[in-house]
Amino acid sequence: MTSNTTIKGLFRRLACAGAIALAAGQALANETLNIGFTGPLSGGAALYGENTLHGLQMAADEINDNGGFAVGNETYDIKIVSLDDKYSPSLAAVNGKRLVQQYRTPVIFTPHSGGTFALQAFNERDNFLLMSYTSVPTVTEKGNKLTVRIPPTFTGYLKPFTKIAMDRFGKKLGIANATHDYAKYWTKTFVPVWEAAGGTVVADNPMDYNKSADFYTGVSKVLAAKPDVLFIGGASEPTGLVARQARELGFKGGFVIMDQAKIGEMAKVAGGLKALEGSVGVVPLVDYHTPGSDAFVAKYEKANDGAAPTSEVAFNYFGLYATVAAMQAAGSVDDAGKIRAAMAKGLTTLSAEHNPYGVETIDDKGGMVVDPNIAVVENGKIKIESLSEVMAD
Amino acid sequence: MDLFFQQVLNGLTLGSIYGLVALGLTLVYGILHVPNFAHGAIYMVGAYVSYLTMVDLGYNYWVAMACAAAAVAALSVLCERLVFNPLRDAPPIHDKIAAIGIMMFLEAAVQMQWGAEFRRMPTPYTDIFNIAGLTIPAQRVLIIMGAFSLMAVLHLFLKKTMTGATIVAMAQNREGAFLVGIDANRVAMMTFAISGALAAVGATLFAPINLVYPSMGHLLIMKAFVIIILGGMGSIPGAIVGGLIIGFTEAFGGFYISTDYKDIIAFALLVVILSVKPTGLFTKGVR
Repeated sequence: MTSNTTIKGLFRRLACAGAIALAAGQALANETLNIGFTGPLSGGAALYGENTLHGLQMAADEINDNGGFAVGNETYDIKIVSLDDKYSPSLAAVNGKRLVQQYRTPVIFTPHSGGTFALQAFNERDNFLLMSYTSVPTVTEKGNKLTVRIPPTFTGYLKPFTKIAMDRFGKKLGIANATHDYAKYWTKTFVPVWEAAGGTVVADNPMDYNKSADFYTGVSKVLAAKPDVLFIGGASEPTGLVARQARELGFKGGFVIMDQAKIGEMAKVAGGLKALEGSVGVVPLVDYHTPGSDAFVAKYEKANDGAAPTSEVAFNYFGLYATVAAMQAAGSVDDAGKIRAAMAKGLTTLSAEHNPYGVETIDDKGGMVVDPNIAVVENGKIKIESLSEVMAD
Repeated sequence: MDLFFQQVLNGLTLGSIYGLVALGLTLVYGILHVPNFAHGAIYMVGAYVSYLTMVDLGYNYWVAMACAAAAVAALSVLCERLVFNPLRDAPPIHDKIAAIGIMMFLEAAVQMQWGAEFRRMPTPYTDIFNIAGLTIPAQRVLIIMGAFSLMAVLHLFLKKTMTGATIVAMAQNREGAFLVGIDANRVAMMTFAISGALAAVGATLFAPINLVYPSMGHLLIMKAFVIIILGGMGSIPGAIVGGLIIGFTEAFGGFYISTDYKDIIAFALLVVILSVKPTGLFTKGVR
């Protein structure tokens, strides 16, 4: 047994040496602050989840490379702890518990409404700030005190989308969007607005964008009702495919595109902007051309071989900077209530390049306030209009 | 009436791809005697190989298809040699677990290497024919013709050649095949290679009207399972007819009833057929 004890002894000595080295390292380096993330990192929505995580990671790397950020007398480095929830609310809740208990994260980011609702069940009790990347208005309207909705709500888009599409193409709407919760919610809120403006719904045929091998059947069913405008939307690429197949089947009208899909990414699949003529949707960040967005786009393209950043990347990048600014304004990295309360003050200190969408402030309920631009495809080009301009006409 | 024929075309397109993928699955079933869950992932790898050969290396569509067929056939043989062959005497559950393992491995490996983004595979056949109000994109014609000619070739191969006959013999009765001196290893590798090549060709045909992404196999593999259960496990005509049944059900059910319910209609049909003929439509000796 002698050999055994020597090995044990060796391990013990190694462990001691390691611990000392670790302790010495920590004394010199910054404190590490864990920030949680739960989102889809595998399965059909993996790309979306990875994009959101990429935004957070990009901001964290920048902050760490600049020597961390100071709150009080301490300087902190950020570590993003990411867990996969496969887009499932119940897994998001499990991940949330794990992040808080195991990693002590004062802030958790999640990129879907289902996960947000699941985490809201215990975020006030467990004292963590929920940074939610979803434009579903109810996530902030339920009165949860520790929730921040990062993007603007989609309800602001409904009237201008209706006005633009109806004026140009006509009053008959065919519904062919996706079937997930967010899409259903959109349909439920969009249809009354369309009808209030004097329109009718001639076909209502949502399709599962992730589980359909082909959209010809579903699209031809909608087109059989001869709509003037098609309401489509889900993840960008399948949405592009739906638009493409609608054109192949002879559809000449316009598209109202749910804000989840981005016109620029759709065009790659649909066969260019020409195929999307008459579409109205949200604006790709690269076409914003504000000082903040240009700086961000340039930085992102440089780091990613010229690939254009998506809104998921940009909003989450902003979200982490906003959180850090709020922590500094609150003078605390772990009191979620204080951080939430200082968010508005923090936003005023944020520089433009960290705020690509030009978020102005945050409302009482926790929704970020911004005057978003919308994109209209006219003569094969993207034309940008701000929401307030369209409604002023 | 136009719309009716449009659905016939849609049903044929879907049915021929489903049939092609189910064929590979049913062939391997004859060897493994368990469904190969990794078949969808193999199909996905086929699409990626074609995509990369076309877009990154700049070869033409048919070269890409051949490369994909060869590469995926090799991959399938590798799976057989490294995983399924060592497990041949193990209980069937081990094969199932191994197949699921391969599926996860392939998906994760592709996602790690090329990312989770959707890619669109270009096709040289972008014409769209409009005949009597019917929209017929050239790629869809190609899918239908390609799938059916491949099925015909496979049928001739299995029925008319000695090598083909050994595969059938092995599927029908393993011991009997050994007794007449058939080399089990060779037949197993060949079956896997054919199954992989079919999946790769199917993927290359279908990818241009759809998208290429790591979890694209899930869509088809679920359908392919239903098809081989419907048609009878291990039955080749069963896979083809089953594929067409599911394809037409989706097209007509989706159009005349509801797109939301098209899968329910397909599964309801499965229940009806199985309650009338519990072993599937075309089952012979194979279990």
